[in-house]
Amino acid sequence: MNGLLHGAVYGAVIASALLSVIAVGIWFERKFAGRMQSRLGPTMTGPVGLLQPVADVIKLLQKEDIVPRDADRHLFDLAPVLAVLCSLGTAAVIPFSPEVIASDLDVGVVYVLGIGGLMVIPTFMAGWASNNKFSLLGGMRAIAQSVSYGVPLVLAVLVPVTLSGTLSISGIVAWQSAHHWTAVWPVIPGLPAFVLFFMAMLAESNRIPFDIPEAESELVAGITTEYTGAKFTLFYMGEYVHTLVGSALGAALFFGGWDGPFRPGLHWMVAKTLLLFAVVYWVRWSLLRFRSDQLMDICWKWLTPIGVGLVLLAAAWVTFGGAG
Amino acid sequence: MGYFTDTARALATTMRNVFRTPVTVEFPKVIRPRAVRYRASFALPDDENGEVACIGCLACERICPSRVIKMRTTGKRDSPVTGKKRNYVDEFVLDLSACIQCELCIQVCNSDAITMVREPEVPSFEREDLVLDLTKLRANAHEKTASWGRGTILQEMQEAPKAAKPAPKKVAPAAVPAAEVAPAEAAPLEKEPA
Repeated sequence: MNGLLHGAVYGAVIASALLSVIAVGIWFERKFAGRMQSRLGPTMTGPVGLLQPVADVIKLLQKEDIVPRDADRHLFDLAPVLAVLCSLGTAAVIPFSPEVIASDLDVGVVYVLGIGGLMVIPTFMAGWASNNKFSLLGGMRAIAQSVSYGVPLVLAVLVPVTLSGTLSISGIVAWQSAHHWTAVWPVIPGLPAFVLFFMAMLAESNRIPFDIPEAESELVAGITTEYTGAKFTLFYMGEYVHTLVGSALGAALFFGGWDGPFRPGLHWMVAKTLLLFAVVYWVRWSLLRFRSDQLMDICWKWLTPIGVGLVLLAAAWVTFGGAG
Repeated sequence: MGYFTDTARALATTMRNVFRTPVTVEFPKVIRPRAVRYRASFALPDDENGEVACIGCLACERICPSRVIKMRTTGKRDSPVTGKKRNYVDEFVLDLSACIQCELCIQVCNSDAITMVREPEVPSFEREDLVLDLTKLRANAHEKTASWGRGTILQEMQEAPKAAKPAPKKVAPAAVPAAEVAPAEAAPLEKEPA
């Protein structure tokens, strides 16, 4: 009962904290994107455009809620809700400090990968229920992409798991703070594993350069073509949450999570998460979209074999020496 | 391998931009200097006697590609200033909302009677505000700065260069530093091919 109460309270706190960070994240992205393109970004709404997310949300909520005549009404309504739930659900086992964690599962890594992998269901649900060819194509691409990139994602995550010998995320972080950060030492499976994780994470959350499920130039807006107003806002939010939780997971698995000198653990974890979050946007506004076949090429011909090699290296490291 | 270097270059370019001053300005607050030949609205200027110079010859109405000029003239009558007979335009309507700013009407005007003005943006809340009649066009001529182009200047630019005779003359001005010659007036005249 105590665990349930703890989970409910911390879960609510973490979820609302994430959503508030996202509000600022929208402003940050627009400002950051503007500067990357030698623009100013939002300046008119509030001081330095800080109220831009508020204006964005008000604008989105004012829009008419349109449901296509031939859409599957129930699935159409359910998909955006599930999208947010799946992305927020992954946040449950992310340790923001030894204490700030909604549920310290023994199999946290498996849980995160499982719930994160579920994201493909609301995505395809939206594509199918819209009864629109662009949406359906987007949904099918999303399935192909998420299923493919799940493999390198799991392989990348297996590296810290192998090194630390535990599936609990807070266990992995504790191991890192006792020994060394995964991405720093041993460098050879560690750092490439992080790069692999980062690429797979971008692909799983359908971000540029892996955003072919909603490639504007080909598919109008992919799965979100038929969505307007509040439901579109939910998809938008789900995407941000997914990215943010992915960044937090990367910080926890590869950069020692709450580990760091001088400041409380929570500060370090938040700083690392936000740094990775910023890198996601840096990549997003710098690179071009892959073609569908290039995407599969990269996944199956490069990332997956490399991932297998990295896991073997990590296992060899544990067996023949290095790990204490 | 090229892909990795290109990715790194793309990331470096965007990151370099982040630490540079943005090239854009906040438009309504900061307005950049206009180009020399900038032009926006129209005016019907006066002739040397202080009358409207337009004689209603219909040349601009005929050449206008978007047909935004409509004029009406009742024929010759005595000028109250000089006493001579001349043509007058009685109605002149120019619909700025459909104008494509091509300046053809200026080019065909033999009496320099229509010019464009360097008025900045001309937004309005009513479409009717963009329909310029004789009163508004004459007011523009008195209130706003005329743009560089006038019928006679532009027609001179279109003419074939006079063979051999002006050529030795042009040698001397060429030695003058370019900065002393007003760029918009000097350069196009000399570049004009046969």
